[in-house]
Amino acid sequence: MSHFWKWTLGSLFGLLVAAFVGLSFMAGSPKDVYGLVRYALPHMHRGKLHAGEDAPDVRLLSLDGSTRFHLRERTGARPLVVIFGSYT
Amino acid sequence: MVKIYNDYKDHADFLTVYVREAHPTDEWQMKSNVKEDVCYAQPKTLEQRVAIANDFVQRQKYPLPFGIDDMNDAADLAYSAWPERLYIIDEHGHIAYAGGMGPFNYDPEEVRGWLAKRYGPVTQTSSTAAPSKP
Repeated sequence: MSHFWKWTLGSLFGLLVAAFVGLSFMAGSPKDVYGLVRYALPHMHRGKLHAGEDAPDVRLLSLDGSTRFHLRERTGARPLVVIFGSYT
Repeated sequence: MVKIYNDYKDHADFLTVYVREAHPTDEWQMKSNVKEDVCYAQPKTLEQRVAIANDFVQRQKYPLPFGIDDMNDAADLAYSAWPERLYIIDEHGHIAYAGGMGPFNYDPEEVRGWLAKRYGPVTQTSSTAAPSKP
C-alpha cells in the first residue's frame, strides 16, 4: 500500500473516530449515537411545507378508535394550531 | 402547549396529532422515559397506537382535541412531523406558520408569538398542569 493510501485511510479512520466520540458526547452515550443513526435520522425530515402553501389534508382517527375525520374538517372557521408528537 | 391552548382556545382551534413513537422500548429508548415510566414498544397496529394515545391523554389529563395518524404515517409524511412539529393553518387552509423540526427547533413560543401578534398577548392565571409532550 502506498504512503498516500495509508495516510488517506488513516485520516479517514481518525475522522470517523472523532465524529463518533463527538456524537457520543452530544447524544449522551455511544448507545444514543446508534439510536440516533439507526432509528431517528431515517425518519427526520427538514420538511418542505412553507407559509402560504396549501395545508395537506390527511385522514386521522379519533381516540375512540373508530371515528375517522379529515384534518381539513377542523379548518376554516378559525386558525388551527396543529401539534404533532408522540408519548415517548 | 397546554398553557397556550388555555390562553388562546377562545381565538383559535387546536389539534394534537399522534404520530409514530419517538423513543419506544424496542428502538431508541431514553433513560428519562424509563424514569417516568413511559415505556412503550413501537406500535405495530392502529389499535396499539390508539391505546398509547389514550394512555397519554388520561395520564397527563391532556385537554386538547386529539387525532391519531394512520399506520401508513400519512400525516407524518405530509407534514414531516416526526418526532414533533408545530404548524398553524389559517382560515383559508393555507400554512400560516411552519415550525422547525423537533426536538431542537420545536418552539411553542413561536406559536404563542403568532397568536399574540394576531389576537394580542393573553396569559391566563390558570394553574392547569402542563404536560411536557406533545
